Amino acid sequence: MPPPIERVLSDWIASGARGIGQILIAEREGEFTLCHRDDEGRDGLAARNSPNDAVEIAKFDEEGNYRPLKTAPNLRRGWCLELPDISALREALDFFYPGRLAALLAWERNRLHPTPLRETLRRQTGMYRVAAHVTDGEADALVSRFCRSQGGAPGCLRTILWARDETKARPSTRLPLDKFIAPGDQTGRGEQVIPLLCQEACNLLVAEAQRVVKAE
Amino acid sequence: MPARLDAALLIAGHGSTVNPDSSAPSLAQAQAIREQEIFREVACCFWKEEPSFRDARLFFDGPEIRAVFVVPNFISEGYFTQTVIPRELELAGRLTTRPNGQLWKYCAPVGNHSAVTDLLLQRAREIAPGVPKSETSLLIVGHGTSLNDQSAVAAKREVEKIAALGRYASVQSAYMEEPPLIADWVSLTTAPNVVVVPFFISDGLHSYEDIPGLLGIEREGDTAAGARAIFQRSPHRLHDRNLYYASALGTAPEFARIILEQVAAFDEAALDLAPIAETVISAHS
Ligand code: SF4
Repeated sequence: MPPPIERVLSDWIASGARGIGQILIAEREGEFTLCHRDDEGRDGLAARNSPNDAVEIAKFDEEGNYRPLKTAPNLRRGWCLELPDISALREALDFFYPGRLAALLAWERNRLHPTPLRETLRRQTGMYRVAAHVTDGEADALVSRFCRSQGGAPGCLRTILWARDETKARPSTRLPLDKFIAPGDQTGRGEQVIPLLCQEACNLLVAEAQRVVKAE
Repeated sequence: MPARLDAALLIAGHGSTVNPDSSAPSLAQAQAIREQEIFREVACCFWKEEPSFRDARLFFDGPEIRAVFVVPNFISEGYFTQTVIPRELELAGRLTTRPNGQLWKYCAPVGNHSAVTDLLLQRAREIAPGVPKSETSLLIVGHGTSLNDQSAVAAKREVEKIAALGRYASVQSAYMEEPPLIADWVSLTTAPNVVVVPFFISDGLHSYEDIPGLLGIEREGDTAAGARAIFQRSPHRLHDRNLYYASALGTAPEFARIILEQVAAFDEAALDLAPIAETVISAHS
């Protein structure tokens, strides 16, 4: 029996999901070809065929800058990746979008318990301890700027599942409502896709919150 | 190592938001171990990269995985192994039972393993082939100062072990931010040849730029390739000495074996301590 993540992935594709994040997934007789969604139908893509190639493709953006956040909407174009089966697909997606399939599986099984932003900040120690002093207003602006699906800095294609605090308030009132509703196509194309879920503020956001507090 | 198809391996590394090479050793070692097909699953997680330590709590879902070995890919015990990793992974001690009955076994960091000494010696030999050790000073460079970081202690321990072998003219640890400073390498050493090995897990700003800068080695070009080329240019002729500069220790592929040995060591220690899981927790925490 295939591992549960591979079953979930197969189910999503079988039910019509066209891709994940900025990646288009095309299936033919159990084999998969991935490319950037903006490269759909384009000729002359550099063909690769190992899941490990995803590591290098995902590492730098179009300008050659390192991508610290893999779900940021700056995946480079010009490549295609041919994969022989579902387990190779899973491996490649774990490199393109690390940890997202595990979160998806937990979500589908009602076992994903998002952590409110305040709890994440309170848990920090060392240099990030001060991040807890960020005000709700500052956090609202920060999340809006940092996590925005399009036009953010750097922006991020995940759907936010965590609340601001125990009141379950949304962490940012400035983001469109669908930033918080999965599954949705955060690229704005309105296609059926496998969602990239954010169950807890990432370390990059925590580091930004620390910077906001220290700048005061 | 015999197959452990009821177990998974999780390598926990630091990672970086600025350095693309930081996670490379963990990823390479995970791949090497995956190819040996010992564990049902092998994954990495990072403090500063994805997947995060927090994400890793969601990995290894499936009743066939009864145990998860967590091996910190860190050069020593310290803030990350003692505070951050247990907190983020929600580990109760050396042994944690998850609600689904899965056991998470928290192993010692790779840097604690006794084979690290041999790898240091190997690095030093490889960077200066054929150079007589009796005419060579060996410097092991650590970071120093950071928060509850015991890497300086670990570097000193390695120095003592290597010095006791009596092969090098001198062996010493030096640090970027606390004395003895690596910037003072000329006065710290006496031999005509000096070998410098960074006591870090991965190459990055420290090994590409900071330490070469403190040693007085000039950079070639501004590109990433130029940065990496620093390790190919030994010896550097400086202050009438031959200076041999190696890449970070943790990039050695042999660390994959050390990861496996830390896994085996966990189970051996657990057997010695007590047969009952709960007792193991209290013995370690
Ligand atoms: S907190 Fe979540 S949504 Fe925001 S940038 Fe980090 S990963 Fe993306």
